Amino acid sequence: MNTKNWLWWLLTILVLLGIVLGLWVATKRIDYTWRWNRVPQYFFYQDKDVKKTVIDGTVTKIEQKGKTSIITVHNSDNEDNVFIVDTETVNLDVDDYLMEDDTVGAILDWKAGPLVTGLWVTLWISALASIIGLVIGVVTGLCRVSKNLTLRQLSITYIELIRGTPLLVQLFIFYFFLGTVLDIGRLASGIFALAIFAGAYVAEIIRAGIQSIPKGQMEAARSLGMNVPQAMIYIILPQAFKRTLPPLAGQFISLIKDSSLVSVIAITDLTKSGREVITSTFAVFEIWFVVAFLYLILTFSLSQVVAWVERRLAVSD
Amino acid sequence: MIKTVDLEKIFVGRGQTVRAVDGITTHIKQGEVVVVIGPSGSGKSTYLRCLNGLETLTGGHVHVDGIDLANRKTDMNKIRREVGMVFQQFNLFPHKTVLENLVLAQMKVRKRKRIDAEKKARELLEKVGIAEKETNYPSQLSGGQQQRVAIARALAMDPKVMLFDEPTSALDPEMVGEVLEVMKQLAREGMTMVVVTHEMGFAREVADRVLFMDYGKLVEEGTPEHFFIEPQEERAKLFLRQVL
Repeated sequence: MNTKNWLWWLLTILVLLGIVLGLWVATKRIDYTWRWNRVPQYFFYQDKDVKKTVIDGTVTKIEQKGKTSIITVHNSDNEDNVFIVDTETVNLDVDDYLMEDDTVGAILDWKAGPLVTGLWVTLWISALASIIGLVIGVVTGLCRVSKNLTLRQLSITYIELIRGTPLLVQLFIFYFFLGTVLDIGRLASGIFALAIFAGAYVAEIIRAGIQSIPKGQMEAARSLGMNVPQAMIYIILPQAFKRTLPPLAGQFISLIKDSSLVSVIAITDLTKSGREVITSTFAVFEIWFVVAFLYLILTFSLSQVVAWVERRLAVSD
Repeated sequence: MIKTVDLEKIFVGRGQTVRAVDGITTHIKQGEVVVVIGPSGSGKSTYLRCLNGLETLTGGHVHVDGIDLANRKTDMNKIRREVGMVFQQFNLFPHKTVLENLVLAQMKVRKRKRIDAEKKARELLEKVGIAEKETNYPSQLSGGQQQRVAIARALAMDPKVMLFDEPTSALDPEMVGEVLEVMKQLAREGMTMVVVTHEMGFAREVADRVLFMDYGKLVEEGTPEHFFIEPQEERAKLFLRQVL
């Protein structure tokens, strides 16, 4: 950072702080109470599995083994009831008398909350839809530049149909119509709808990429005796892929964001998890900010990965 | 080696019909160096591209080693691997290193093992004088070096004929010599060559036969001595006055 720039840096930070301050003042005026402390438990929480005795009896033995304790309850019928629980939850002494259904202790366990599971669902739905979408897109893109008229017309029809209708409507069609007719579940409907939506855009990107490669490349490959598939696989597509990487990355980033729409067909992705958490916390502002931030982490990571791949491919420039 | 009979290539587009190659009958013999010259737009490049099937023929026949390219059953890929081609714009594969440019088709088309393909590639790079550049990418080479790699790439397939489509036209003047030198060496080794060029010096020195084309027709053919000193046709005389 040179000396001339740091003042501008400072200005940027001040402007951003100003916006944040403005938002804070605005929420103050509507008497909104921020409850950020309610948020972390929806990432991870401690699950308590409470153990209760099924017999009346006396505690005869408490054996500690590190963090767990083994507790034996003995009754008048000479029956033993043995429990393994976490030591920190035990509030008993030897010779304490327990009635049926009294608590002996509990086993504590960290579990992923709805925000984490939702994030995971969004992540793998997007990843799967991206991979399928890329395959569909490459195949359609190749059909789009094919010499065969039918292949060309079919690919154009597909691209126009998908690009001309809203994704939300496509999701409903996939879920209610195709889901019912073909008997596929909501997850599969959601993933295929996203993949087919992305595929149409990927196809156009791939077509543009292929057409941007000079004709001489194909001629050189053919003049060496390669057939068309070989020339495509080894010569044209690698170059086209390199050129189309930035727009492809943009498309897949869009796909991650668009995946939030699958919440309308009751897939518990990040967006739907957020909505569910809000119904139990009423921390509306906090949760939506957190959800937005989690999406941002996903998209930002992807753009970083792509930037790294681009730098690696740039060696031949 | 290569015979053309009434070769015809017509381009139709935007209501215009261009008879790029208009009934050419030639016979290129084994070991012969044939130079094709003529004004721009005379169909020389199109003629050359018909010889390895890069252009589909409108009419007539091309026989390479006795096999007719006009026959629809002919496997073009099999013919093309026997006919090397060097382009005006080099057309090296920019995403592959120099060595990989030479190795790829050997492995995929000739089904050679990598070790054999690399050995062959290195020999050829040595021959065209750029052995030290094998790990470079084409964009890191000068035009002359790129064209020499392109020649080596075509030679790696062990072609029976080499076609050159204005190989020096896209080069800076100081690099023309190094490419022509490689081509002369090839000619001396007895390679069958068909060369479209504007390098009259090369034609005079190396050619066994000169073909002069104009408006898609073969106007005059003969030895360089005959063609450059006492051309018969009026158009050939006019062309020579303009270029010499």
